[in-house]
Amino acid sequence: MNNYLSDQGVVLGIETSCDETAVGIVRGKNLLANVISSSVEEHARFGGVVPEVASRAHLEAMPVVIEQALAQAGLALKDVDAIAVTAGPGLIGALLVGVSAASGLALALGKPLYGVNHLAAHIAVDIFAKDSEIEPEIALLISGGHSSILQISDITSNIQVLGATMDDAAGEAFDKIARILELGFPGGPAIDLAARTGDPKAIEFPRGLTKSQDLIEHPFDFSFSGLKTAVSRYLSVTPNFIRSDVAACFQEAVVDVLLIKALAACRETGIQTLVIAGGVAANSRLRLLAQDRCAVAGVLLRVPPADLCTDNGAMVAALGSLALSRGIPASEIGISARSSLPMAGMGTIIW
Amino acid sequence: VGKFEVVSSKNILLVIDTSSTRTSVAIIQDRKPIISLHHDDSLAHGEVLPRLVAKALEVENRIDQVIIGMGPGPFTGLRVGISFAQIFALGRNLPWLGLCSLDAIVDPSAISATKKYLVATDARRKEIYWAKYENGRRIFEPHVSAPQTIQSLGLPAFGEGAIKYGFSQNMEFLFPNPILMANLISTAKTYSLPLYLRRPDAYPAPHNVKFRAMTAQDLESVFAMELLVYENESPWSLGQFEEELNGKNRWYLIAEQEGKIIGYVGALFIDQNTDITTLTVHPEFRKKGIGRELLRRLIDWARTQRSKSVMLEMRIGNLEAEPLYLAFGFVEISRRSDYYGPGLNALVMRKDLV
Repeated sequence: MNNYLSDQGVVLGIETSCDETAVGIVRGKNLLANVISSSVEEHARFGGVVPEVASRAHLEAMPVVIEQALAQAGLALKDVDAIAVTAGPGLIGALLVGVSAASGLALALGKPLYGVNHLAAHIAVDIFAKDSEIEPEIALLISGGHSSILQISDITSNIQVLGATMDDAAGEAFDKIARILELGFPGGPAIDLAARTGDPKAIEFPRGLTKSQDLIEHPFDFSFSGLKTAVSRYLSVTPNFIRSDVAACFQEAVVDVLLIKALAACRETGIQTLVIAGGVAANSRLRLLAQDRCAVAGVLLRVPPADLCTDNGAMVAALGSLALSRGIPASEIGISARSSLPMAGMGTIIW
Repeated sequence: VGKFEVVSSKNILLVIDTSSTRTSVAIIQDRKPIISLHHDDSLAHGEVLPRLVAKALEVENRIDQVIIGMGPGPFTGLRVGISFAQIFALGRNLPWLGLCSLDAIVDPSAISATKKYLVATDARRKEIYWAKYENGRRIFEPHVSAPQTIQSLGLPAFGEGAIKYGFSQNMEFLFPNPILMANLISTAKTYSLPLYLRRPDAYPAPHNVKFRAMTAQDLESVFAMELLVYENESPWSLGQFEEELNGKNRWYLIAEQEGKIIGYVGALFIDQNTDITTLTVHPEFRKKGIGRELLRRLIDWARTQRSKSVMLEMRIGNLEAEPLYLAFGFVEISRRSDYYGPGLNALVMRKDLV
């Protein structure tokens, strides 16, 4: 394979694992286009993502989003060297729209297809900001569906799950608390905004799995269900609660635990780079506190720009581009979308 | 989004259908298959379709147009075919054409003695997708209903859905056939969106429409809509509406969106039976489930009156209303001539409440 070509190959990435229909285009490590069509407004009516609503929206948006991405990149489909698509984890019906579109595109163009892992893609998006290789690093991956601490030895083939949530994902906890506080959906940005005028020290909410015994048994795992219960109980016994204070203190408790555990993983493994990725990484309090604590711990912090933290196609194209440049064989024709990860593992990274 | 154009039969067509348990792929030129492949697995359309297409393209890689079965069919499998085919067409810069999958199940020339028939596929959840055909042409839009609909219509039925519920023994016409589909491209109705026929489960249907009892203040607006809808079919007078609204054992409900009346339904309960006096939806707000919701609420009301049946008259040839009533289990019991004016005959239908 021509090395120059594979390092500079154009990869079109398709993402449909949840409610965003997204297409990104990457040349080598350069981002050329990132177009997102979201059905979030439709889901807001239900206070959560409705899989069938999302799948219908993906199908309608897909051709438009692909064409917009090509226009943004100033390219035609004949310029594309490979297609990448999120093949899991995610909502199965939603994933299948993207995987089928990507398969159709790859066969039409006669170009290779890479099915990629959504979580690894969230971390791979960091290639745009970096001259050096991604690895090794510790990743704190936090979104509506996932909260895990990962050790990245090779982003395309070797990712170890050090810890994960034992109940709700961090983003899920944000959504649920936002619903109780009547702040709307999605909960992450709503709480972030409400918390700005609140006092993060006003109420002492519990930090899950941080007692000394927990730190031995579950050093890198999370639990947010106790926090959720504590917030609901507080609201039911406090008729005149201050909404912004509750939002700020809830957010502080989540962010505190995330950073305690992520930095413990850096210490434990001796890896001095921490990347924070996934939708919750867009949280402003988390970004600020992470800077302070990483500076104190002497850890290099990497956080992709907020618009590359939430689900997008550029991250899928980024991981596809890494696979292409590292000579990973393309996926077989007829890849299966997979909705869930195996127990305590990452599952397949490149299909 | 799609580019529609009818091309000559010499063109090479890639036909894709994933609306049933079968995934079908064919490359067809001049009504003859160059290659035709299928695989039966209701849960593997996603994996199967790209493999079948790759295999077919090895035989003939030049494609001029893509033909897509738009359903109705189980949503997830259906979308696999549509998503794949639309983006394949985009990738090759080809026009695509969407057809109703039910139209390509029965070969009318093979059953030319059968003038009227039904085609039904399995919609799961104890329902069927179905359509009615006369002389090989579909009569109204496909519907999703209880399987007993086939029985109540008393016509020969074909397809997977008819077999499953014991209303057919014909095993020849079970699945959408890509060769028949290719034959339909210049004659059949085309579709640019999937034929879902069902709303997503969680959908608060219909969207931002309010239902409330009709009051005297609504009569002017209701009457205006009556004139609009029933211009040549004996519309009610304002006085008739007033009488109805003030009469005993009557029930009138309106559907309203942002203050505008977009539908109404009325009923009269008498002698253990509920008569539907009117069911009207504004022409611009049809096919959104408003009539269905009005009818559903009316039947609920009839039950609260301990009504043993619900009856209605429908103008024969009202193709929009008929499938709705059939779907709710109404069956024809008699006909009345010139009921809505000269030549406008009525069908009397009844649904028993048990």
